[in-house]
Amino acid sequence: MFDSNLTRRNFMKTSASVAATLAASQMGPFSRPAFAARDKELNILCWEGYNSAQVLDPFRSSKGATVKAESLTNDPTMINRLRAGEINVWDLINVNNPWARKVMLPEKLIKPLDRAKFEPYFEKMLPQFKPPYKWAMDDSGKELLGMAQRFGPYSFVVNTDKISRATAEDQGWDLFNDPKLAGRFGILESDDWNVFGICCIAGFNPYKPHSAEEVAKFEETAKRVLKNKKVVGDIATMNQALVSGEIDCHLTGGSYSVSPARADGHLNLRGITPKKGPLAGGKGGIAWIEITSVVNNPESSPLAEAFLEYVQDPVVAHTVAFAEGTFNPVTQMGNPECFKLFSKEQLDAIQWDSLEEEMAGSVEYDIVPDYDKLLDIWNAAKKS
Amino acid sequence: MSGTNSFLAQPGRRAALPIVVLLLLGFIAPLLAVVGFSFMPPRTFGLWHEPTLENYEKIFTDNTYVSLLWSLGLASATVVLLALICYPVAYGLVRVFGRWSTALTLLFTIPLIVSENIRLYGWVLFFIKGGVLPGTLKALFGVEMGDFLFTPAAVLFGMVYVYLPFMLFPMTLGIAMVPNQMREAARDLGATRWQVFREVELPLSTPGLMIGSLLTFVLAVGAIAEAKVLGGQRIIPITHDIEIAFTYAQNWPLGAALAVLLMLVVSVLVLIVLRRFDLDQILGKR
Repeated sequence: MFDSNLTRRNFMKTSASVAATLAASQMGPFSRPAFAARDKELNILCWEGYNSAQVLDPFRSSKGATVKAESLTNDPTMINRLRAGEINVWDLINVNNPWARKVMLPEKLIKPLDRAKFEPYFEKMLPQFKPPYKWAMDDSGKELLGMAQRFGPYSFVVNTDKISRATAEDQGWDLFNDPKLAGRFGILESDDWNVFGICCIAGFNPYKPHSAEEVAKFEETAKRVLKNKKVVGDIATMNQALVSGEIDCHLTGGSYSVSPARADGHLNLRGITPKKGPLAGGKGGIAWIEITSVVNNPESSPLAEAFLEYVQDPVVAHTVAFAEGTFNPVTQMGNPECFKLFSKEQLDAIQWDSLEEEMAGSVEYDIVPDYDKLLDIWNAAKKS
Repeated sequence: MSGTNSFLAQPGRRAALPIVVLLLLGFIAPLLAVVGFSFMPPRTFGLWHEPTLENYEKIFTDNTYVSLLWSLGLASATVVLLALICYPVAYGLVRVFGRWSTALTLLFTIPLIVSENIRLYGWVLFFIKGGVLPGTLKALFGVEMGDFLFTPAAVLFGMVYVYLPFMLFPMTLGIAMVPNQMREAARDLGATRWQVFREVELPLSTPGLMIGSLLTFVLAVGAIAEAKVLGGQRIIPITHDIEIAFTYAQNWPLGAALAVLLMLVVSVLVLIVLRRFDLDQILGKR
């Protein structure tokens, strides 16, 4: 009766009324004639920063092109947009490291880059990104799937006036098991990352299948942490609460989330990478690396690859690092031409002083095999 | 075919066709899409799977009811508080403040042109530790203010603040509809001020109160920003559950089922109210 091969996109093609409505509501400003030439048009689905005028305007003027960028703040939603039929809308997608090789390439949502054209850019990046960089390649190591640019450690944030950096690094995730912290910490509303954090607080590695005992431990930990929290909120709320003294620390977070407050002079607020923990190799920290890939759009814009090259330029890479929103290290800081553009204040904001050791003490963000189950438990715990 | 022709024979029906098509595409089709998704298997992205009731079962077997109760409870409390707050203000605007009424109305209207989120973040800065209110109390009187921000009370405060104009203006119209002669006649016949209010003004201004309450309730039951910004997610409204289902959880069918549930509950409540009050009569059409 039902054709299980039909995707929503196919359905939209054959069902005029629903299709027209969904297309109008979801594609909005991006709707266009089906077969129009797209050499002067580029649509980017990205984390915040790439959608700022500082980054886009010079590219727009140099190419005389219409460039639209939509920013979202979690990877699953962006992947969903492609899965749900917007593959013919977007040309570039900018998400965190595991999704390109583990999800988007197998599902044919993205297509490989011209390796000969783009791999030389990796040669100029910071040492850990030298080619063939794992997360930019497919499983076979032959196909280049995207370009790495922003990255950073991301575990939790403390006010070092209240909890010293050394204490936080030594105690690690156990800090949030301490009953004395009740009512003094916040939780950033990144629920996918909170699943990682709760696993670490519960004492096991998030990035592997979990036993029934571990799932039960996760639930108990989630309920306890949520009960003891002061506030759940976005980055602005966390930084404001840290500055005002409402909270002394928050999970999850890192140089990415705390950088706006540090750039404003609050250098006592600091992203912490635990010195030890339950992650692979006994590591305690988690890090993210953004990979920007070309969407497998049947009418892909030729400007997609041009934009990827554009953001490799030292000046543009520096702009990307300090675009509006959050401030982050970029892989292009391995190029002295780019590094010299960063002022001391900017390096302080992104915790350059400890970046190398923090990245070395972190595992790279990965997909949790039983994420759906753990997320459901986390969301139910919020209401308990 | 002939039936269609005869249906379209009347010019009025032909003229109404564009709006009918617009309503079908812009209102009915999205609703049907949401309803359709709610019967798809969890965590799928197509409308062409075997229908299932799994999403509805999940809603009634986990603790989603907590979110629904919070949303309904907060919306009801908002309506009650706004009715109590807005009636005297509306009365003042119509009967007491005279030429100052326009200026006061503007004061209530101007915040509507500022984004709701920005206004709520403004209140965060007002109530946060060391913020405008606690900082001033401490500096001037040495008083430490207790926790208010990130509590359910702060959420309710935010909702009352945000939805105040939506109760105030219909209520103002309702009170303005009460003829002055009726009040004067009641007084001439010996009614006390309280009797005039209870037996003349309140019943005759009920249309404004009802429209304001309905409008406020429907808006408030879908509120999410107040619980997020002022409440620090201490409580989770049903709209937050819907948002999580569509984003982090990648579970569109569950999100759609929650949305359908919310629409059903609100529709039933609104219909119950409308059955008791004739909207046409309220709006003065007959």
